[in-house]
Amino acid sequence: MLVLDQVHTYYDRIHALKGVSLSVERGEIVTLIGSNGAGKTTTLRTISGLLKPRAGSILLEGAPIDDLPAHEITRLGISQSPEGRRIFARLTVEENLEMGAFARTDKAGIRQDKARVLELFPRLRERLHQRGGTLSGGEQQMLAMGRALMSRPRLLLLDEPSMGLAPLLVEQIFQIIRNINEQGVTILLVEQNAHVALSIAHRAYVMETGAIVLAGPAADVLTSPQVREAYLGG
Amino acid sequence: MRLRSVQRGLRIGAIAFAILTYLILIGLPTRLGSVATPVLALLTALIFWVALRGGKSKRALADQSPAPLALTGATAGLASGLLTAALIAGFARLLAAGVNVQPYLDKIVPLNMAALYGVMPGAVMAGELPGGGWLWQVGLLTLAGVVGALLVLLERSLRQRTWSTGGALRWLTIVLPFVLLAFVIWLGSPGVTLGGNNRGTLRLLAAMAAIGSALFALRAAQRGREQRILALLLLIGLAYLPFTLDQFQNSVMGIVFIFVMMGLGLNIVVGFAGLLDLGYVAFFAIGAYVYAFLSAPFASPAFSALLTSLGVPADAPLVSFWVAIPITMLAAGLGGVLLGIPVLRLRGDYLAIVTLGFGEIIRLFMLNMSDLTNGPRGLLNVAPPYLFGYNLGNPRDIFILALLGAGVIAFAAYRLDGSRLGRAWIAMREDEDVAQATGVNLVQTKLLAFAIGALFAGLAGQLYAARQTNIFPDNFTLFVSVDTLSLVIVGGMGSIPGVVLGALALKGLPEVLRGIDEYRIVTFAALLVIMMIVRPEGILPSTRRRRELHEEGGPASEPAITLEPALPTDYRTLDGGKL
Repeated sequence: MLVLDQVHTYYDRIHALKGVSLSVERGEIVTLIGSNGAGKTTTLRTISGLLKPRAGSILLEGAPIDDLPAHEITRLGISQSPEGRRIFARLTVEENLEMGAFARTDKAGIRQDKARVLELFPRLRERLHQRGGTLSGGEQQMLAMGRALMSRPRLLLLDEPSMGLAPLLVEQIFQIIRNINEQGVTILLVEQNAHVALSIAHRAYVMETGAIVLAGPAADVLTSPQVREAYLGG
Repeated sequence: MRLRSVQRGLRIGAIAFAILTYLILIGLPTRLGSVATPVLALLTALIFWVALRGGKSKRALADQSPAPLALTGATAGLASGLLTAALIAGFARLLAAGVNVQPYLDKIVPLNMAALYGVMPGAVMAGELPGGGWLWQVGLLTLAGVVGALLVLLERSLRQRTWSTGGALRWLTIVLPFVLLAFVIWLGSPGVTLGGNNRGTLRLLAAMAAIGSALFALRAAQRGREQRILALLLLIGLAYLPFTLDQFQNSVMGIVFIFVMMGLGLNIVVGFAGLLDLGYVAFFAIGAYVYAFLSAPFASPAFSALLTSLGVPADAPLVSFWVAIPITMLAAGLGGVLLGIPVLRLRGDYLAIVTLGFGEIIRLFMLNMSDLTNGPRGLLNVAPPYLFGYNLGNPRDIFILALLGAGVIAFAAYRLDGSRLGRAWIAMREDEDVAQATGVNLVQTKLLAFAIGALFAGLAGQLYAARQTNIFPDNFTLFVSVDTLSLVIVGGMGSIPGVVLGALALKGLPEVLRGIDEYRIVTFAALLVIMMIVRPEGILPSTRRRRELHEEGGPASEPAITLEPALPTDYRTLDGGKL
């Protein structure tokens, strides 16, 4: 579904992605793990068009998308729940969700999807008319994911959904991610919390300083000595 | 409970008495002369208001209930009244007995304020405050106490928006603009002497209050039929204003509404799209100059030479005022796009600085391109608007045109606010990256904000040029931008009625205050500072903005873990993203 081939991304002169290649197949949960500064978020931002690769290609269903602006990539069915949630803090929960469907014009479909999202996250229904900024961390994460789902994406990019959350909440969120996937949404999941990410993913890529260093089925990556040592505390 | 109300009233009364004593000792009543009584009573009512509301917090305000509050207010007023009356009577008795307390007073009053104000405290002692005997003084201050309590209640219902349930108060709000309108008309009828020499100012003030209160009335009305009927009635009433006001009053109103047009345009850029534009005057100037070129080509040496060489006569207006409208608006809109392109990637402070520069560049261009613009000597004989041969250049017709222009722009802004583009602006204002990721085309959305804002400024500029008939680069300084921005902020960012109110307060009030010229700027600055403290969201904010500045809605179950939000959006991604 999505293929990155030798993608190089720079921040001015800083070479952030040094030839990243990966692929995501329809229906999969693929996780991208690695330590701070490895280039995970940069990879997501490059896919969603917020950063432009200097070399390499990104294909969605075989068609190149690397030279499209971010708003058009969204319309093609890639949606992102950004790192740090970045919800619209001053808009209500409902307005946040509606904003997620900005690219769409089918009112009936939007209403249907809103109901679906609220079913997925019952907590959001209770907070529907509250400002986004007054939500707790977990609720904000749910809202960010809900907002991303409102564009009815084919591919959902999740950036660090576990960040700053209590272990119990992390488990809840990941259960929901699995539910979303079972409903037919392909997911590319970036995580620092390698253990949880690997436990729900089908396949995994490990990044280090801007390059993929290990790839394979999640179960294999989970047991690889390299990963155990680096990310899972031996 | 009752005892506590009385105790609190006594305490507040004592505080008010202390303040009044000070004011009497520094000789304020004597200085104020004939208006001493109403001014001091009003001042005392304001003191009571502040004291009675009990702190700035919302809860303190909500805890007040009408009956105990009125009791406290009345007690405070009565106490301060009795004390003040006793003080004045005491002074009078001493004076009658031939005791000169002047030297002692001079020692009590700090910094010898009495001497500074050039006041004889003796005159005060004879009972000039508030005049008319002790019963009158006590009664007036008691009334001030009750008024203070009423102000607290009014504020509470305003803040809690209990208008719909607030019965009497709501109807009062709805009726007020009509009362004020009737007052304006009555003041203008022959034989009325109220206000003396200041009758014109009083009328202007009442007219402005009528427009302002109409906005509040509309908000107080229930949505739907009630609001529509009220709007229609208000429109009919306000449409009568230009025909009853005199030349000077109409000319002030004209300027106020030209600034309403400007404010509505800037409100789109700053309020809706969140782009801080400090060079907004540029589009106003472009509108004015383009209309000047079109209507008085002979005034510009280079332009008239060009026309003559093309065989077009340059000694008469090229097009009429009406045909010029789309041209000037388009020119200004083009200016907006031209400014927009280079600043597409800028946010926050950087954007403000660049736009500030743009405004100045346009002014300096007009100043220095002497061949084209006549430089500082300006373009003269710009044509006023004509309709079927009638000259519409007089203050009354300009006011009407400004009203119409503001109405059209307000309608456009209202429609934009609820549109898809409006939502894109909100998303962009909140977080550019996320907006883009939800499908907002940033380039298009930003340029449209600048362009649409500029269109409206261009229209305002054209009307301004037609009103002045002579325009100079000095009409288009940075201060026009600053004034416009201030009125948007004071009125309530993002709020359309707020802009009207802001223009009345910032462009209208200074004209009214001209009478007390020396204190004009001081009073004005004080008003602004107070407003920013007690009502940072503006006088008549949009619902969303009010939510932003005053936390409302149910409390979150746990404190929000917000990772970056303390900073305004603009600063959040200055680096263009994180590594």
